[in-house]
Amino acid sequence: MGSLKRVEPGPQAPANLPRATRSSGASPAPRGAPIIEVRDLVKVYGGGNGRRKQEEVRAVDGVSFTVHEGEFFGFLGPNGAGKSTIIKVIATLLGGTSGAVRVAGMDVATQGPAIRRIIGYTGQSVGVDGELTGRENLTLIGHLYHMPTDLIESRVEELLGVLELREAADRQANTYSGGMRRRLDLGAGLVHHPRILFLDEPTTGLDPHTRNGVWDYLRKLHRDERMTIFLTTQYLEEADRLCDRLAIIDRGKLVAEGSPAALKAGIGADVVTIRLPRDEGFEANRARALQVVQKVRGVRKATAFDEGVSVHAEDGGAALLEVMRLLDAERVPVQQVAVARPTLDEVFLQHTGRAMRVEEVKPMSSAGFGQRRR
Amino acid sequence: MVAEVGYGRERVRHVEQGTATQGGRLSEVRWVAWRSLKKLTRNPILLFFSLFMPLIWLVLFSQTFGNVFSGAARAQLPYDYVAVLLPGIAVMTAIQSAAQSGFGMVADIETGFMDKFFVAPIRRSSVLIGKLVADGLRMAGQAGIILLIAYAMTLLAGWRIPFATGLPGALVIMALAAAFGVAFSGLSNAVALKTKNTEATMMVSFTLTFPLLFMSTAMLPKPSLPQWVRDFSVINPVSYVADAARALVLTGWEWSAIGSAFAACIVFGALLNGWAVLAFRAQGK
Repeated sequence: MGSLKRVEPGPQAPANLPRATRSSGASPAPRGAPIIEVRDLVKVYGGGNGRRKQEEVRAVDGVSFTVHEGEFFGFLGPNGAGKSTIIKVIATLLGGTSGAVRVAGMDVATQGPAIRRIIGYTGQSVGVDGELTGRENLTLIGHLYHMPTDLIESRVEELLGVLELREAADRQANTYSGGMRRRLDLGAGLVHHPRILFLDEPTTGLDPHTRNGVWDYLRKLHRDERMTIFLTTQYLEEADRLCDRLAIIDRGKLVAEGSPAALKAGIGADVVTIRLPRDEGFEANRARALQVVQKVRGVRKATAFDEGVSVHAEDGGAALLEVMRLLDAERVPVQQVAVARPTLDEVFLQHTGRAMRVEEVKPMSSAGFGQRRR
Repeated sequence: MVAEVGYGRERVRHVEQGTATQGGRLSEVRWVAWRSLKKLTRNPILLFFSLFMPLIWLVLFSQTFGNVFSGAARAQLPYDYVAVLLPGIAVMTAIQSAAQSGFGMVADIETGFMDKFFVAPIRRSSVLIGKLVADGLRMAGQAGIILLIAYAMTLLAGWRIPFATGLPGALVIMALAAAFGVAFSGLSNAVALKTKNTEATMMVSFTLTFPLLFMSTAMLPKPSLPQWVRDFSVINPVSYVADAARALVLTGWEWSAIGSAFAACIVFGALLNGWAVLAFRAQGK
């Protein structure tokens, strides 16, 4: 596991290093004041002593970052990267092992109740009560936030409308479809108009149509209510489309941070993918191809992957011609080539040395709480 | 700490500032309890079966063991065995409901609903207390229904049950059932929070339920019990509750018995619920 902490500053957000001293707040990019500050957060599960001793798992390993007020911030990483753990620590649901976490200037370790008033949290498992109706679910949350009854009524009505649940409002939530339950759960995080909304994989398990609907609503919330939104996701597309700024997290460590555009720009320019035939000569051919492509002018980096070689080049089109010419001369068989603008896929690959694999999580209803979920 | 006015932000400023204390803690407990009771009404079948079993017992036991008081004894006593059994059945109903108390806890943890409570600005203890309040109301209601049915049977089937203290006594029995049930709920909740597993919760609770019931004076009065059971029954809180309730049905107001019964519930309840509170506090640590 590499301990490198590579951070992509990107053109618009200079010196956005985790441990950089915050200079006078005069830097151009951030929208507002820092609202979430995480410094050297570590979370170790297990351990203990005596007969309860379990294997220690370092789920979060020295993570630092800052989110500014009004930002749409995302955590991108595969299952088990530590995303949920970090978001739970910030949302006061879980204690950290060491490090400092402040929300709106308040310490999560000592000022939990005050923090809870200004945040909304929607967890990975859809935490709606199936035996209550949609309206009752939302009303209950309003009362748990000590809101006056008339305000709860109008707010619940408003949310049922925007979440398109009005017709189903008086049906028990266990008759809802997965998408409706998701929307209701999202609504539960919004009843009290939080300043910061935490969303832990808000669209995992949703069909593309519903996912688009949730995205639209989140964009609207962010735009119209100027809400700070912090989401975790394992979907590259989701991170790319929604977030102002991203942190890529892998095995408990932050490996890169910046706007999606800046992260992609940091790759180089274009990505040339060369796929080789998977025959007995594949390994040897790939090794030769890797040598060959490095001679091409304009190539910044070449990486072998399980289907061939991936090349980062300033001008993909020009590099492609040269690459093909050289491979031909070297008699390396090629099955397919492609040139593309870099995606977050390549960003992830570059920073972790692995392709991002999306695993569908276990069914939402059985996702455990307080278990070793990283 | 209030942000620039965003949409709707102004309206809830008091929420952020924590000045909206709509009844404070009492309101928290009330709404948690409201939810539990609301769920109960959505499950009428569950409610029916939680009463069905004790009623079957009442009928079967009173028929099968009815001739414990045989011949001459039966003729001398002004009541049937069913009158001796009735308080025990009321306690048993409470124990059964208490044993299930943790199931809801496990379900809330599994579905993620518990996180909704934990992320809200309420005290964690309100979640537990609210649930216990709902449990207590449910148990008192169940005991009331059992008593009502038994009373109906005195009219319809000629069961001989004196109901020595009448309606006030019945209310005290309901309170006793609730107090005992709430105390015993602590065990179920603690096991549920420790194991996060419905089966384990069920096993522990039911394994303890029957020995506690039978090694007490709930089924038979003390003189009819074997010596070793009689010895155990002294430290068994079920006995105190059953004795007090039985006195209320058979003889009249025995204040010392009633006092002992509530005291037993308090001691027993403090231990078990203390354990549950510790388990609850440890969540998310």
